[in-house]
Amino acid sequence: MLMALLIVHGLLAVALLGAITHQALAASVPRTEPRTRSFFARFRGTDATAYAGAVVGLFLVVAAMGAVLYPRYRLAVRPLLQTMDLRAANGAFELKEHFAALGLLLLPAYWVSWRQPLAPEYDAARIGLTWILTFMVWWNFVVGQLLVAIKGLFP
Amino acid sequence: MKHQGRLIVFSLAAGIVYTLAYYFDWSFLRYDLGESRFYFSAKETSPGPSILWYGWLALAALAGVVGACAVPPRLTARLSPDLIWLVPMLLITTALIYEMRWFM
Repeated sequence: MLMALLIVHGLLAVALLGAITHQALAASVPRTEPRTRSFFARFRGTDATAYAGAVVGLFLVVAAMGAVLYPRYRLAVRPLLQTMDLRAANGAFELKEHFAALGLLLLPAYWVSWRQPLAPEYDAARIGLTWILTFMVWWNFVVGQLLVAIKGLFP
Repeated sequence: MKHQGRLIVFSLAAGIVYTLAYYFDWSFLRYDLGESRFYFSAKETSPGPSILWYGWLALAALAGVVGACAVPPRLTARLSPDLIWLVPMLLITTALIYEMRWFM
């Protein structure tokens, strides 16, 4: 059961990563003319407002799954990290824990900043907060993947 | 607009209280790993190793709700929109500095 939950947690995290990265790039870089569009121009040329609801929903679900999985991590993985003296890995997870909590608590402000019609006074806040959440999501994803594979990486 | 202001206050207050909670170890709720159950820290002592994170998060959410209800709408309307990203930036920096001890 926990294994299935871990896999779904990882898969939904990929969806969250894609949604928020698309949104952050689309919100930050102005769209280019269709004729001059490269792959990256098309990537960032999506409608950034369309992602807000998906980001909030996915963040909530992924964080809730992470909260359910957390005791298992503390019982199975953390003692291993301590035995192997992998202090940096332990610290990376501590940050992941803080970023998950802060990200969850910041979702209401993020939601307000993306409410339609977009308020011009929130332009800087919208972009800044979206990049902050993007950083948190990337950190949590990369650290999560590394910790899942840590026994293989440090035999 | 009134509700939007309250949501922003919730996020800012809860984020600040979460940071204070892990820094000063304020947690009214603990999850005991040995017994797989929650303890209210003030009433009982958890016998084995426990997780404080749920307590920090619950405390922060509670503080956020209190803050959102307590701050008058005329004050929330005067909040600078830049606080929405400057405060989280400060909270992230604090977390990075606090956890630096693991990387040294």
